[in-house]
Amino acid sequence: MLKIWSMKKEQQKAENAAEGTTGVAPKKKKVTAAQLRVQKDLSELSLGSTMTTEFPDPDNILSFILYIEPDEGMYKGGRFSFTFNIPASFPHEPPKVLCREKIYHPNIDLEGKVCLNILREDWKPVLNLNAVIVGLQFLFLEPNASDPLNKEAADDLRNSRDGFKRNVRQAMAGGSVRGETYQRVLV
Amino acid sequence: MKVKITKWNAVATWRWDIPEDDVCGICQVHFDGTCPTCKYPGDDCPLLSGKCGHNFHMHCILEWIKQDSAKGQCPMCRQRFEWTEQPSETSMDMTQGASDV
Repeated sequence: MLKIWSMKKEQQKAENAAEGTTGVAPKKKKVTAAQLRVQKDLSELSLGSTMTTEFPDPDNILSFILYIEPDEGMYKGGRFSFTFNIPASFPHEPPKVLCREKIYHPNIDLEGKVCLNILREDWKPVLNLNAVIVGLQFLFLEPNASDPLNKEAADDLRNSRDGFKRNVRQAMAGGSVRGETYQRVLV
Repeated sequence: MKVKITKWNAVATWRWDIPEDDVCGICQVHFDGTCPTCKYPGDDCPLLSGKCGHNFHMHCILEWIKQDSAKGQCPMCRQRFEWTEQPSETSMDMTQGASDV
């Protein structure tokens, strides 16, 4: 009969001894909690037809790029990319998300910082990466003028939805809005 | 017919005595498995049940609750996360495999 408990003890003893003698060099690199969780999240990601991911370093799943090409709404026809950097404390801390293009959007500032509640104050560890990408996609379908990061864009949206739409088209084509030149993101 | 049992092997399984059989919302690992920092499931890596009815690996939820940003709230329902005593009792399902009749 297998003696599981004594096997377990022996195994632990052997491990402790190994750690004691080798000191710094463990034989296997430990997979961190964040990596484990990200791996699960990535396998459950539903990107649909409007999103793709890219891993610049295939060995590092904690850092990747998400491309969004909205197929409806005012930002249709654009291609936007976001860098995802996932801290070691994930899922207790949210991923760090930045827009790589300079775009005209009330909830994304000129440096690419994104205003999305679940990326900041409303983050909780039961949320997953899917919730974040759904949130980002939603920002392109329904930009909201309350709680803005780009105040001018938010004012434009509040004052005239049609005017805002025209500005979005102009900015996406690489034009200027209110003296600020934006990056061309049309595909 | 007379039967004489000469040898028998007992097999036991265990699972946490909780209504739903699911994964920990924080680490997404099964309740019967361990949190990412533990190696052996069971008493080494117990569960903690909140009064709101949500369960987590104890290590996972304590890691969350000690953060300021958690505001003491359950990550599932955002109610105050409170717990009474731990459900440390495991329910034993005994399955006997008798052999050698």
